[in-house]
Amino acid sequence: MIEYATIEHTRESWRLDEAVWTRVRNVIAFLMLLGWAGCAAGFFQDSERFFRSYLVGFLDVTLIALGCLFFVMVMYLTGSAWSVTVRRIFETIMVTIPLAAVLVLPILGGIHHLYEWSHSEHVAHDKILLGKAGWLNPEAFVIRAFVYVLIWSVMAIRIYTNSTAQDKTKSVKHMDSTSAWSAPGLLLVFLSVSTAAFDWIMSLNPHWYSTIFGIYVYAGGGLACIATVTVICLWLRRHGILAQSIHLEHYHDLGKWMFALTVFWAYIAFSQYMLIWYANLAEETVFYTKRLVGSWKFVSGLLLFGHFIVPFFFLIQRRVKRNLGALLAAALWILVICYIDLYWMVMPNFDKEGVRPHWLDAVAWLAVASTYAFAFWWQLKKHSLVPEGDARLEQSLAHVNI
Amino acid sequence: MADLAIKSPEMLDEVTPRLVQGNSTYRSLTEDISRIVEKGTPIQWWMAFLPSVAIAGMMFAMLGYLVITGIGVWGNNSPIGWAWDITNFVWWIGIGHAGTLISAILFLFRQKWRTSINRAAEAMTLFAVACAAQYPLFHTGRPWRAIYWLFPLPNTDLNMWQNFRSPLEWDVFAVSTYGTVSALFWFVGLVPDLATLRDRATGVRAYVLGFASLGWRGSARHWRHYEMAYLILAGLSTPLVLSVHTIVSFDFAVSLIPGWHTTIFPPYFVAGAIFSGFAMVVTLMTVARWSLQLQHLITTKHLENMCKVMLATSMIVGYAYGTELFIAWYSGNPYEQFAFANRALGPYWWSYWAMVSCNVITPQIFWFKKCRTSVPIMFVASIFINIGMWFERFVIIVTSLHRDFLPSSWGYFRPTYVDILTFIGTMGLFMTLFLLFIRFLPVIAISEVKGVLAQEDHVTKHGHGAHH
Repeated sequence: MIEYATIEHTRESWRLDEAVWTRVRNVIAFLMLLGWAGCAAGFFQDSERFFRSYLVGFLDVTLIALGCLFFVMVMYLTGSAWSVTVRRIFETIMVTIPLAAVLVLPILGGIHHLYEWSHSEHVAHDKILLGKAGWLNPEAFVIRAFVYVLIWSVMAIRIYTNSTAQDKTKSVKHMDSTSAWSAPGLLLVFLSVSTAAFDWIMSLNPHWYSTIFGIYVYAGGGLACIATVTVICLWLRRHGILAQSIHLEHYHDLGKWMFALTVFWAYIAFSQYMLIWYANLAEETVFYTKRLVGSWKFVSGLLLFGHFIVPFFFLIQRRVKRNLGALLAAALWILVICYIDLYWMVMPNFDKEGVRPHWLDAVAWLAVASTYAFAFWWQLKKHSLVPEGDARLEQSLAHVNI
Repeated sequence: MADLAIKSPEMLDEVTPRLVQGNSTYRSLTEDISRIVEKGTPIQWWMAFLPSVAIAGMMFAMLGYLVITGIGVWGNNSPIGWAWDITNFVWWIGIGHAGTLISAILFLFRQKWRTSINRAAEAMTLFAVACAAQYPLFHTGRPWRAIYWLFPLPNTDLNMWQNFRSPLEWDVFAVSTYGTVSALFWFVGLVPDLATLRDRATGVRAYVLGFASLGWRGSARHWRHYEMAYLILAGLSTPLVLSVHTIVSFDFAVSLIPGWHTTIFPPYFVAGAIFSGFAMVVTLMTVARWSLQLQHLITTKHLENMCKVMLATSMIVGYAYGTELFIAWYSGNPYEQFAFANRALGPYWWSYWAMVSCNVITPQIFWFKKCRTSVPIMFVASIFINIGMWFERFVIIVTSLHRDFLPSSWGYFRPTYVDILTFIGTMGLFMTLFLLFIRFLPVIAISEVKGVLAQEDHVTKHGHGAHH
């Protein structure tokens, strides 16, 4: 039986316990050291591989933060009440996005290792690449990367400061201000994430193109972000933090979102695959033929089952969404499969024979993830764990799924 | 924490504006909505109905002429084998989508503001599907045989078997499923309200309504089953909102024609459908709330929300236009590049720019609250959007076909008077059905609005957290 909390009830658990905080910080710091030391070693051992692995890791975690940015803006625009008690977790992940300005540097530095269009002597012999050199050239690529991060950072910081200011002032004017920022913000963020997906992933094979690609990439990021928030909340719950503010009803809704985004991802993935398969044009099918070579075809099959069929039938059940253990399993699985999805988008451009796992894949991911996690954890302590000044807080605490 | 509690209706309005206004009570709600169908037929209704029937009659005359003479009475030619027929089909099907989105998806998203508009919007879905269905049916030229062309039925005279690889065949199943589920959903939602009308009626009317309301008594058990059925139908309708227009987009996107074959088509078509559907709902509901005096139930807040949805879907559609243009250039494919240059600058440039100005530029006014809350402005804008969405389909279909790979077979499409009158005729059919609907059925879901009223009453009297 769940307890439906009132504000007074949960007051004590809205701050992180100092001892817990320090312990976790130390663990993250250790992992960060380990990750970056491993990256340095990997860079000297096999720099080609380092850049590829790093790209996948960077995309995976950055897309989670961008997914949070998207959802926070949507929550404000729709006046969402159920999500208020979980929103601070979304917001704190979101506000780590300025770190991307630093974390993107290895990709910009490794541009010649990753992107064939960055070699002007190669482009000179390729009529098609010459045609798109106005977009795909190193200078424009670097400038665009910083513009993207700037847009995301401005939006994230603006929303975060508004939300935390409201903790004290308890005034709806912050809420209105964030809504006003979120409408154009949603547009700018969606546009920039799509073009970032074109730049960072689609241009790995610069001859290939697909208009839906930006939506495909962001759909995965949105899904991974809900899974991340679910995992974080469940971890906090295990330590007695926010156990009453974020109760079963909120987890049920997070589960619904994971289900909905699983279906949405599958819808976009199917649309892209089916249309390319049906038209059977060589310049488009190359994307999939590359991914049906050798062991890549098992990864492709794994995506079909692991990214759609299995989570679909698992998460469609009400009892799964209302069972915290099962929900945790689903969320963790989704995080794994979203990583595999990105791996499957990036690596077949290089490992043409089949999957070639490398220790750097794990280490590079660890470096990026722990860096974002460190910023997240640092920021989480600064403010209340729940937006306590939100006018819809009581509604959220009392939220029930009928 | 006292300053957080919502104590007065004015405070609630600041955070979540109330959706039922004008001191309504349960009794006054029943009265306001039932009275529309119970009182005598107003003369204004006849003034709208008779011309609509006449225009619908014109459609049937045109279709009769087509059947007797042949498809040649339309302006379709080679290479433009599809023109106004499928443009109108897609336009009408798209308009239906707002109804399903409002009744199903907004229900799952717990958007209470849907309750005042869902009934009418869903009715529009059904009527729009009826209008859309005319085009593929009559494009076969022999509609009485169409059943064998469309459905996999054994037949000896035609020796016909469907091509299941064709998205046109998938369309048959998608649209007929959509029509069926929408009709069921609409009817299930109507049952409690029909019972309300029955309880107020006498004589034959009471008997007919009693039959239609399936013996509804409003017991707790009835409500429990009703709520469950409603939720299941909402769950079933939600994928239909996406699947129908997705499959419509496949009609084009599976081909090899530049301008048709692009992967963004499915979500882009769905967003466009919702966009056009909301425009049609705004067009009709602004008129209906005024003529039926329902301003306290279909409030400015409802209209403002619809304007916001139009703005959002307009931006999605704009995103798709932009992405298509960008990728056409980026692809380096000369055929793609030509198709898009030809759209914007070729002989049909006017239709492309009509589309862009109606669909992307016009809705920008909805960034301003003044425009989102002004009924005349949103009415005019919604008409522009209706026109723009028609042009979108025209642009996709006709401009992509009229210049194919061989310049020797290029052509130009001009509609004939049959094309034009048939299209206007479907609007007559739509209006006829819609006017019959507001005359005979409760135009607003009485029981659902009462649910919202109950909740808002509760919140203002006892504060947010108190219930449960």
